[in-house]
Amino acid sequence: MFSKLSLIILFAIIALFPHLFPSPYLIHIATLIFIWSFITTAWSYMGRFGLVSLGHGAFLGLGAYTSSLLFNHYGLTPWIGLLLGGLMAVLFAIIIGYACFRFGVIGDYFALLTLALGQVVALTIIAFRDITGGSLGFTLKSKGTSLLYLQSEEKIHFYYLSLGFLILAMLVWKWIDRSKMQKALRAIGEDEIAASTLGIGIIRYKMIITMISAFMTAVGAVLYAQYVTYLNPFTLSGVVASLEIAFKAILGGMFSLWGPTVGTALIIALEEYIRVSYGGKFVGFSQIIYGAALVLLIIFLPKGIYGTLQQFFQRKK
Amino acid sequence: MVELLLNAVINGILLGGVLALLAFGLNLIFGVVKIIHLAYGQCVMLGMYLIYTFVDLLGIPLIPACLLTLPLTGALGVALQWLVINPLLRAKANPLTQLLALAGLIIVFENLAQVIWGADLRGVKVPLPLINFGPIFLRASNLIAFFGALLTLLSLYLFLHKTYLGLAIRSTAQNVDSARLMGINPGLIYYTTMAAGGILTGIIAAFFSPIYAVHPHFGGSFTMMAFIIVVLGGMGSMLGGFIGAFIIGIVTSVTAVLTSTEMGEIVALVIFISVILVRPQGLLGIKISR
Repeated sequence: MFSKLSLIILFAIIALFPHLFPSPYLIHIATLIFIWSFITTAWSYMGRFGLVSLGHGAFLGLGAYTSSLLFNHYGLTPWIGLLLGGLMAVLFAIIIGYACFRFGVIGDYFALLTLALGQVVALTIIAFRDITGGSLGFTLKSKGTSLLYLQSEEKIHFYYLSLGFLILAMLVWKWIDRSKMQKALRAIGEDEIAASTLGIGIIRYKMIITMISAFMTAVGAVLYAQYVTYLNPFTLSGVVASLEIAFKAILGGMFSLWGPTVGTALIIALEEYIRVSYGGKFVGFSQIIYGAALVLLIIFLPKGIYGTLQQFFQRKK
Repeated sequence: MVELLLNAVINGILLGGVLALLAFGLNLIFGVVKIIHLAYGQCVMLGMYLIYTFVDLLGIPLIPACLLTLPLTGALGVALQWLVINPLLRAKANPLTQLLALAGLIIVFENLAQVIWGADLRGVKVPLPLINFGPIFLRASNLIAFFGALLTLLSLYLFLHKTYLGLAIRSTAQNVDSARLMGINPGLIYYTTMAAGGILTGIIAAFFSPIYAVHPHFGGSFTMMAFIIVVLGGMGSMLGGFIGAFIIGIVTSVTAVLTSTEMGEIVALVIFISVILVRPQGLLGIKISR
């Protein structure tokens, strides 16, 4: 949909944005959008091939808690924690993914099963409250501004870092698109039995994409934890966190490269707008509108906002 | 320790009675309308808030307040059918889309409750005694809920098996097209089923009110529990749901006594995951293709 030139202009504007509008608030919101877009894009790697997971909160929780607990207790740098957290998520994905794909759990059953998984991780975090701080969560030890410990008091550092991560996620999307895996997974998503008769290794491809998605999601969670320096089982695992990832991606359109990012940006902007304009008087009011909008969009625009726009423009050509 | 476990088992059985009612509602809706009502626990939560409003703010005694709540939760069911489920069925949405739309309702309901009633715990205070038989202690509210739930299940059974409307509902569940040939209007049956499911959430809310204090996220764990039971018993199998409710009630309550409440829930979820993996048709379900 975008030509090369408009892409370059878009990224130039985004890169210059903090210098044109040096408002810490706007930079903060933009950073949140980048981090969550990174995560929703990683979610869509699976979602676009029919593997709709409602349990990515499990990967968020595993990644963020692994890295942050190792940092708080052993002073391990989050750069290694990021890899270890990602590997934890991959390990979890291998166990669960193999079980699911081996027994042929797909569609709504897969969604329900993963929904339960996200909740299992949240409850486990709460149950081990001596280590994890339970439902109260815990705060990361402050190191001031330090590249080694991936902490910064300057918001702008995280702005560029998370933007870099988001671009990375999009490049991985492009790489998947060009690989043989994409064709195989699309065939599997459309008709699993037909694909297997063509000799496509269903379990293998599904496992690979699940592992990539799990790893990236966990990395995004570590980034988020480093940015807000506070971890809580309800924002980083459990049913609501898992559903919100899926909803952001679906609202934007999980089948297109820019869909998850557009969805995330719209939802975070909407939440912030309503929160700022109505304040604490209506806590949850923004969420009602958001939920209702979601239900309507899921019914009437199953391809998502961006996906529908894209379709509309393609038809005009 | 033995006494503690005995208490846990008996409390689990009592909890199982109400859970059976929840599972029955979900099963009924799944069987007839073919929708997984992911926001069912949240409907119960709204019912409990209605009872709280009637009792605490308007000063109506508990029993009339509960009776007042039933038509309102029934109306909520009808409204859901009209505003959400009918459009979904008309758009011929796949099961996954339906699931997500209903999941969106969770966000709407929970935040609606938070905006109207706030995030604090709200409870109806009813002075009910603690009854003991030797070493076993029982809360009267749990006993009422248990026997009330059994009575409700019995009357629902009679409604489904002894009335023409019940017959129409059962035949719609079996085969919509044949039911239509017999002169049944499926659209009307869907509305009736959702109304019955809605009234059921009101009844459950009435039994829960003296036991639990309600908060906006109250419904979540009960929706999850109801699901676990329905899947364990087999989707659409009423008897399976009934047995599953008692299994889950006892397992969670015993695990909670031995370790912690969270572990109880984790064990139930692990059972759920294993059942989906190994025996997706459930204990008593008919083999279906996924």
